[in-house]
Amino acid sequence: MNIYVCIKQVPDTETKIKLNSDSTGIDPAGIKWVMSPFDEIAVEESLRVKEKNAGSTLTVISAGPARATESIRTALAMGADNGIHIELPENVDNNTIAKALAGALKKEAHFDLIFTGKEAIDDGSAQVSQILGEFLDIPSITVAVAIEYGAGTVKCKREIEGGSFEIIEAALPVIIAGQKGLNDPRYASLPNIMKAKKKEIKALKAADVGVSDADQKIRFKNYQLPPPKQAGKKLTGDPAAQAKELVRMLHEEAKVI
Amino acid sequence: MTWQTFVFLPIALGAFGYSFYRFQLLFQMMKAHRGNSNRLDNIPARIMTTIVNVLGQRAVLENKGPGIMHTAIFWGFIIITTGTLEQFVSTIYQGATFEFMGQSLYSGWLFLQDLATLAVLLGVFYASYRRYVVRPVALGKSKDANIVLLFTGSLMVAIFLMNSFHIAGTHPWYANSLFVSQWLATRLGGLASEPTNAALGTFFKWVHMLIVLGFAVYIPRSKHLHLVAAGPNTFLKTLPREKGMTPINFEDESVQQYGAAKVTDLSWKDALDYYSCTECGRCQDLCPAFNTQKPLTPKMLITDLKHNLYANKDKILAGKLDEVSHIIDQNVNEDVIWACTSCRACEIACPVFIEHTDKIYDIRRNLVMMESRFPPEVQPVFKNMETNGSPWAFSSADRAKWAEGLSVKTMAEDSNVEVLLWVGCAGSYDERNKKVLRAFASILKKAEVKFSILGSEEQCTGDPARRIGNEYLFQTLAKANIETMNRYSVKRVVTACPHCYNTIKNEYKNFGGNYEVYHHSEFMAKLIAEGKLKPTKSLDATITFHDSCYLGRWNNIYADPRKVITSIPSARLVEMTQHHDQSLCCGAGGGRMWMEEKIGKRINVARTEQALETNAEIVASSCPFCITMMTDGITTKEMKDKVKVMDIAELLDQTTT
Repeated sequence: MNIYVCIKQVPDTETKIKLNSDSTGIDPAGIKWVMSPFDEIAVEESLRVKEKNAGSTLTVISAGPARATESIRTALAMGADNGIHIELPENVDNNTIAKALAGALKKEAHFDLIFTGKEAIDDGSAQVSQILGEFLDIPSITVAVAIEYGAGTVKCKREIEGGSFEIIEAALPVIIAGQKGLNDPRYASLPNIMKAKKKEIKALKAADVGVSDADQKIRFKNYQLPPPKQAGKKLTGDPAAQAKELVRMLHEEAKVI
Repeated sequence: MTWQTFVFLPIALGAFGYSFYRFQLLFQMMKAHRGNSNRLDNIPARIMTTIVNVLGQRAVLENKGPGIMHTAIFWGFIIITTGTLEQFVSTIYQGATFEFMGQSLYSGWLFLQDLATLAVLLGVFYASYRRYVVRPVALGKSKDANIVLLFTGSLMVAIFLMNSFHIAGTHPWYANSLFVSQWLATRLGGLASEPTNAALGTFFKWVHMLIVLGFAVYIPRSKHLHLVAAGPNTFLKTLPREKGMTPINFEDESVQQYGAAKVTDLSWKDALDYYSCTECGRCQDLCPAFNTQKPLTPKMLITDLKHNLYANKDKILAGKLDEVSHIIDQNVNEDVIWACTSCRACEIACPVFIEHTDKIYDIRRNLVMMESRFPPEVQPVFKNMETNGSPWAFSSADRAKWAEGLSVKTMAEDSNVEVLLWVGCAGSYDERNKKVLRAFASILKKAEVKFSILGSEEQCTGDPARRIGNEYLFQTLAKANIETMNRYSVKRVVTACPHCYNTIKNEYKNFGGNYEVYHHSEFMAKLIAEGKLKPTKSLDATITFHDSCYLGRWNNIYADPRKVITSIPSARLVEMTQHHDQSLCCGAGGGRMWMEEKIGKRINVARTEQALETNAEIVASSCPFCITMMTDGITTKEMKDKVKVMDIAELLDQTTT
């Protein structure tokens, strides 16, 4: 089986995000970059499929600036066989990334399963896996929390609104975007980290995968930091007065009721 | 030469030959270990420790009753062995005795023989009383011990009977020297004729000799192997109390196995440790894990590793190390390995200097680095250390936030300082411990000590990673910190965290980090002694001090923190039942701070109960993790309103101006 997993490198959740001087992007200084946590789930899932199906190959792909190769190494250390890096500038949109990934995948002999995380935690847009499905013209299943693998098919349990689930069955090849709960990603063993250092990462340029600036559908003009979190308020007084004040605040200040 | 010569020689040669063969197998097994251990430094100190602890029995005598018993048996046996030698000689060559040494010397020597026999016999009585009547948990049940006690007791009785019948049968000139045997002879001698008595004397001489030969055969496969192994083990012990863990060279590509998956991955010294173990259980008595119903007992760990080694004997001797079974099995399971808090109480207690913690670390190293097997809650800890340089999920940008408003400078701002204040992750991010750091910074200012911090350039020292078994992550962090400190030409470091202290002081030197390192308790005691700080406000309170393992047992610092407390006017220091090197761990060391404690009683609660028994109003400590654990313990015991947990720096800051 030929398995692919698409990952994105994002700032670590603890990183303090600062904007650059003209607010056209975030200031990269001092940022610790990590693989997006949902993508780690995707890597883990793809590793488990690979381990259950002897003779399978797992390739990890990432489209982004040169630093993205660090996250490809992380996936290789977890156990992926090959890496492909498509060099794209910072701040490209989902369409560009999906098209680049599709371009790289079309260059491969064939693919059976493609995994992604349900979203990247930096922009949180959760679109790439679906746009990729369009470009490759194959089914795309998002927010998967459980996957059953059949002969040439998959059966996915996915989260939908309202705390419910739905089951989707699809024939391979298929794209599956993993959600938290699908598995617990492994910690790379040291021999695998050492081996990963020596694995080759195939380097592709935008032109190699048929992507140009014209593919950018969204352009980011201005960034703003969210307003700082307000301190919590503690209501006092007797329960009836507290309830009354709470209703007033929810209605007038928070404007949720 | 008589018939006795021809009967004795083959039996003796057979017994000693077999014994030698077994010892040689044990030696071969020891040599087959893969791990290195270089222990031939500082020979004079090694000779000294051997004299003090083997001949002087100092470590054994730490436990009075059994210590005196052991010393009696130890010296008794050395003396008796010279007597046994005489019997061997006289059996091989009829009539040859040690009388050539002269009458007075010979009678003195004989007197010693009887005295030693009596001492050993009393020792055996005491040991049997302890083992079968008192029955301390530490001893457990042991078939080996039963056999040895029976052997030893019978041996002494045989000696007395041999001498008594010999006296009654032949009336030798030296009869009075053998004062016990002589006394016995007057009571037994009349029962039979002189020739019968003489024959009985010979009979018991044979009983005695055969028991000795039986011993020779039995020792190599019993816990009494310590007779031979404990001496060398003492000579080869780690000399300083402050010991760093052995680094792994990751550059060496020929190394394929990190840590110990199999017994043979450990070092020859580890095997000598098992050979030396007498199963006295002193390690177990002090072990915080064992005393709170965790599956770890240091004693069983050592005997289980020994049994594992023996079970793999044939494969090891055949050189088939690949086929040796894994360490982790039903006995040494993962719960055993993760239960250790690395408090080193076991190592302090061990009279033969077995080093338990190193084995646990090596087993953890294999589990973590080779197999990625560790408690799941540890994974985010590793990840946080990798990305943010802290076991907790905080941004390194926030590292200096604890010092807001204190006008503390970073090394980047001013590196021309007396000392670098190493804050540590707890001091940087933990709300409770931030206050400790603020108090200590305030003390430094009062004493006009010029210091800076590293701020966002500081990272975790790597101690938690190293103790959990992630040596690779530890070295990454250690090298980064050393690079930073050397860039600022740091000479002196002071820290409020005993874990940081131990790592920077004792472990960074293996990676090019050589600094003069102080724990804040040493630093404050020094400032007080030099008159730079003087507590003037009184603190009318009873204070009990909880020893941090990494300060006390790892670095031998017990007095300094107590000096800080007793320097405070009106402060009364009281000790808990366990203190100084007998102290009970808070439960946080060895990476346990970041693991859930699912089995047995919580260690911090057990320690808190000891603190509460003192009726102290303040539980003082000098370690951020101890402070967290003791605070949690006090909360659990619902004593939060009555008892405060404080760092000694806070006490000193409050009482100085």
